[in-house]
Amino acid sequence: MDYIQPYLMLSSILFSMGIYAVITRKNAVAILMGIELILNACNINFVTFNRFGNFATLDGHVFTMFVIVLAAAEAAVALAIIINLFKNIGTVDVDQAKEMKG
Amino acid sequence: MPIPDLGILLFLGLCGLIVGSAFMVVTSPNLVHSAVSLLFTFFGIAAIYIYLYADFIAATQVVVYVGGILVLIIFGVMLTNKIENATITSKTHNQIPGALFSGILLLLQFYAIFNTKWLVNDNPEKSSTVMDIGELLLGKYLLPFEVVSILLLSALIGAAMLSRKKVD
Amino acid sequence: MNNLQSIQYFLPELLIVQLALSIIILDLLSLKRWVNICVYIGLGCSALLLCQLSSPIDGFHIFNGMLINDSFSYYFKWIILISTASIIVISNYSKELDREYSVEFNAMILFVLLGMFLMTNSIDLLMIYLSIELVSIPSYVLAGILKNDKKSNEASLKYVIFGSFASGLMLFGLSWLYGISGSTNIYDIYNSLALVESPYMIYISLMLILVGFGYKISMAPLHYWTPDVYEGSPTVVTAFFSVAPKAAGFAILIRTFSILFTDANSLSVNTFPIHNVNWSLVVAVLSAITMSIGNLLALKQDNVKRMLAYSTISHVGFMLMAFSTTSVEGNIGIMFYLAMYMFMNLSAFFMVIHVENNFNVKNIEDWSGIGYKSPVLSIFMVLSLVSLAGLPPTSGFVGKVYLFRTLFATEQFYWLGIVAILNSVISLYYYFKIVKSMYFSEKVIEEKENIQAPVYTLIVLFSAQNILFYMYWSDLYNYIKGLF
Repeated sequence: MDYIQPYLMLSSILFSMGIYAVITRKNAVAILMGIELILNACNINFVTFNRFGNFATLDGHVFTMFVIVLAAAEAAVALAIIINLFKNIGTVDVDQAKEMKG
Repeated sequence: MPIPDLGILLFLGLCGLIVGSAFMVVTSPNLVHSAVSLLFTFFGIAAIYIYLYADFIAATQVVVYVGGILVLIIFGVMLTNKIENATITSKTHNQIPGALFSGILLLLQFYAIFNTKWLVNDNPEKSSTVMDIGELLLGKYLLPFEVVSILLLSALIGAAMLSRKKVD
Repeated sequence: MNNLQSIQYFLPELLIVQLALSIIILDLLSLKRWVNICVYIGLGCSALLLCQLSSPIDGFHIFNGMLINDSFSYYFKWIILISTASIIVISNYSKELDREYSVEFNAMILFVLLGMFLMTNSIDLLMIYLSIELVSIPSYVLAGILKNDKKSNEASLKYVIFGSFASGLMLFGLSWLYGISGSTNIYDIYNSLALVESPYMIYISLMLILVGFGYKISMAPLHYWTPDVYEGSPTVVTAFFSVAPKAAGFAILIRTFSILFTDANSLSVNTFPIHNVNWSLVVAVLSAITMSIGNLLALKQDNVKRMLAYSTISHVGFMLMAFSTTSVEGNIGIMFYLAMYMFMNLSAFFMVIHVENNFNVKNIEDWSGIGYKSPVLSIFMVLSLVSLAGLPPTSGFVGKVYLFRTLFATEQFYWLGIVAILNSVISLYYYFKIVKSMYFSEKVIEEKENIQAPVYTLIVLFSAQNILFYMYWSDLYNYIKGLF
């Protein structure tokens, strides 16, 4: 595949699906999966632009490495928070956690 | 009738796999099904990286995303549901506004992608990217490399603090 | 400058990392009582290092173009360091926090401090993303540090979901910006943007980046997390969130957008694709929405912390108003206002902490009678509230005058000025609701007040700045002006 557009289309489809998941899901873990899709879409973009742009220096590849690491860190903290919430409230639905309003 | 290029066919098949399993991830009412579909999405994306001559990123994708993050997410699904009910379901809401919003965003992106004149260089294929990435990480990107280690440490301490029991 | 040469300009940050690591090790060796002394000494030393470095200098790149070393960033670092240090001092006297996790709390604050320092001077897309995440991830933990409190859990859940969503959107924008320009350094991106023929990619990516920054400073469509997170978190953490990350967010917003939007190479100004959209108008509308939402929703709040959260949103709106002029004067106005805002907001929050420590209060009605119970501190609280409302004779008035002056000097968006004046009038109502409750309601408080000297000193010290800067503001203003 020597065209840039198919890769970008793929990443934008994944990005939109991730946004759809974040908007529609109620379960916090499912929302987290949507966020992982968004981050993967970004990674595809970086690698694609690196491949078709300036392939001599691999800036995009390095960027992707960092994004993968950060995604892991974010997922770990988010799941710790979600499990802690489940221990106290007994649910991980975002709209059932509503102690605060206004 | 000319025979289509096998590489293109494989690419289209991969795209179908990724989009289909991602669709399952975002719509499936059963959370375990979503998590398993995410596995196929991640593997498919790793294959896409190979098309882009990013061998090291593809390996990292498999190791970290499939081996690490996906396992974490499956743990999350299992630990936040009571085992008695066999199907772990997740309700959805706002389908129509969500679909509208993401659909409009998708159209905008497609419009931008097709109306931009991309500079496509005819880059030669590289035999391996590991050496270049290593040199960049410990040369130009040394500071971010160190900062990200601090960030991982903080995430580790934070997650451990939040999930451990209080010692008396 | 290469990595080894740049270390000499990176000493305060290195010291902070060192400090965070050493208090964790002290905790592991069960030498917990040394932690506080260690933190105080360390922060003092990093302040000294900052003092030594922050003479006015021209900016130059360090760490192979990852960071820039200039006076602009040092100004923001001072604001961040002062507010964070005062939070660390206050946190030792808060009854809300669990002593068991004090070391983790301090370590998290120090990690956030490092991230905020990096936010003020990153000029590479990778460092921008990384520093914002380094601020966010420990902040999620800080919001949920009361592990058994349902509100705190909920606050951290909302924060983590909203925060990682917003940073994901921003990352997508950054990836497109990288794709268009082929570089990750903002200055290189600026140079190559002029050559781009079709502007749609730039528009979408800039909008997405604005989402990421806007979430950090709680700009209007992205402010949803702010009230819940501020109400649910412990008050010390709320006080921390309301000043230092906002200052860092404004630093990164001003730096990124003012580099991308400079008109310096006037040859290509007419063809420069970024200028086809009136970005000032976009920011002006967002600023009007932000301040109106903040003020109107603050009117009906009963919870003091929640009300102060909405008041923070409205102050952000005021600062965005100056940013919409996209002029150097606007940036000076924001920097000047941030210093005033730090003192008035932190002193108000410290008073809330003091009152929560001593009396069982949650809502505004519970504040009744406090004006007679602790007369001295209440007077200073009134002073801070007057300053937040922006009335003379306080520094809040001076700061607001400068924000308005930059807006009217550019002779556009008069409607925004009118909206802002109306909002200032509205804000009087809810700030004076607290004053009214403190002085004009009959209630005798029986609980004994226990005055802790450091809390007392900090409230008095920070509130006094409201008067001090009202009289001697010109020195600070001229100092900021000299930085550009």
